[in-house]
Amino acid sequence: MNEISGRIWLFGDDVNTDVIHPPAFYSLDPDKVRRGLFHGYDPKIQQEIRPGDVLVAGRNFGCGSSRETSVRAIKLNHVGAVLAVDFARIFFRNATNNGLPCLTFTRQEDLLSLRQGQHVTVNLEDATLVTEDGVRIPLDQPGAFVRRIWAAGGLLSLLPNGSDAAR
Amino acid sequence: MAGRTISDKVIDAHSADDDGTAAYRLVRVDAVLGHDATTALLIDDFERRGLTIWDRDRVLLTNDHFSPPSTIEYADISNKFLRFARDNQVTNLMLDRGICHQLLVEHRLCQPGGLVVGADSHTVMGGGIGTCATGMGATDILFTLVTGTTWLRRPETIAVRFHGELPPTSSGRDIVLELLRLLGESGAQYRCLEFHDESRPKLSQDDRFAVANMAVELGAKFGVFVPDEVTADYCVRRDGELLATPVLPDADAVYERVLDIDLSALDARIARPYSPGNVVPVSEVESVSISTAFLGSCSSGRLEDIRDAAEEVAGRAVHPAVRFIVIPASVEVFKQALRAGYVETLTDAGATFNHSSCGACGGIDKGVLGADDVCVSTSNRNFRGRMGHWDSRTYLASARTVARAALLGRIGPDLYRNEGAR
Repeated sequence: MNEISGRIWLFGDDVNTDVIHPPAFYSLDPDKVRRGLFHGYDPKIQQEIRPGDVLVAGRNFGCGSSRETSVRAIKLNHVGAVLAVDFARIFFRNATNNGLPCLTFTRQEDLLSLRQGQHVTVNLEDATLVTEDGVRIPLDQPGAFVRRIWAAGGLLSLLPNGSDAAR
Repeated sequence: MAGRTISDKVIDAHSADDDGTAAYRLVRVDAVLGHDATTALLIDDFERRGLTIWDRDRVLLTNDHFSPPSTIEYADISNKFLRFARDNQVTNLMLDRGICHQLLVEHRLCQPGGLVVGADSHTVMGGGIGTCATGMGATDILFTLVTGTTWLRRPETIAVRFHGELPPTSSGRDIVLELLRLLGESGAQYRCLEFHDESRPKLSQDDRFAVANMAVELGAKFGVFVPDEVTADYCVRRDGELLATPVLPDADAVYERVLDIDLSALDARIARPYSPGNVVPVSEVESVSISTAFLGSCSSGRLEDIRDAAEEVAGRAVHPAVRFIVIPASVEVFKQALRAGYVETLTDAGATFNHSSCGACGGIDKGVLGADDVCVSTSNRNFRGRMGHWDSRTYLASARTVARAALLGRIGPDLYRNEGAR
């Protein structure tokens, strides 16, 4: 999953987990969880989102609940990565634990240059975002610990018997 | 060595690695908390991998989101959760006993100086008695259930010192709403909030739980009160004796920031839709008719909240256009409220008591809001769509404010006017 390519879906600050995934779509049924993504905010997003698309947001993305259905809904819609100025801590852990890359902008002001629907490529190896216009935007290196979880394919593969697990 | 804060000391005391300089520490936990809605998400992975719980005596599980279940789907999820808990012989499985966070602080697993993780963001409430407790998602909790450990980044600490005397019509809710007004939704992101109660008289334990509970609304990892005689009284009443040695911060502890709050000047606060950080004094809020008043949730469904509401509605009647729902945070709280006569007072005034559970706070159980509903609530989040329909609107306030609004049929700047005449 070193390179992610898709369109940008642009959001503001403090996007909370109830906006990402409304409580009414809480379920153990993956199809119901998948359909709930941003349902209250704009039901069209879920219908139009495509594999590899990238969520881009301001401060404190994912604040609120610990319910992992919000991360599951993003993953079930095959979103490639989430980029933000910063993340709420529980969301960041949940996403990382499930192998959904969350990266932060090195320069906060770069967010302002990005447009809704713009095609971009995210390179996880060197932590950069390249726009369709060829503009290179640096992202913060996620650190060795996060990379270790990404490389393992998620936190559960780090369980003592994790290497035996089918993943 | 630099002075250490409470969270520094608790993390050091629980470290399971030998690298005090690492950005992430592997730590042992004292207890794990889980409820039906989030624990159900980890069961398939747990069973597929043939895993076992590291110490079933240190796990507290309860069904609080679906209690009792309102739909067939939720009943099936609930049954799956209960079967998981029973199959794994979880010692502290509590069936329909109340909200997990309240049950945790009613249990001796939650001790000052302890480290607790839970599969719900409001696990931070354990900080009300000096426990470093924090919420995580299902995958993290699965890892901890199996290993008894987790990874933590050492948080910076913001010290918050309370001074003065809290006015009799204000409560812990108003304090934490004021903190949200000052700091905003990410003002304590990744931080530990360390609360120093220098007010006189000291804040009650229920007020402290209300403050600690919403530390997560400020983005905090921990929201921990410095243990004192109020903490000791609570623990002795609960456990029969003081089981833990309280962990106190060093006098020269290093804080990222120190915030001084004079409680004497703190009148009622209210958070407007759609953010818990959108806080104004009640005296400045717009006049709006309400359809629902909700007194409940882990944030403020405790005895003193129910007492405050009973005091307000005694001998009066809830406005005919308002549905006033009261949910005690636990069955134990409900029994205390029954004995004190608060349940009868509130019921006589027209309030409806529901079973101890999360209720409509999370938008998935009885009492959810329709498109036209306007709710004033003691719960902890008024995010858009949180309590029901995307167009519904929720204001967050104290139990006293909720009760006053229920009587009047609206909120408004005059809720606390003519205080002396009441």
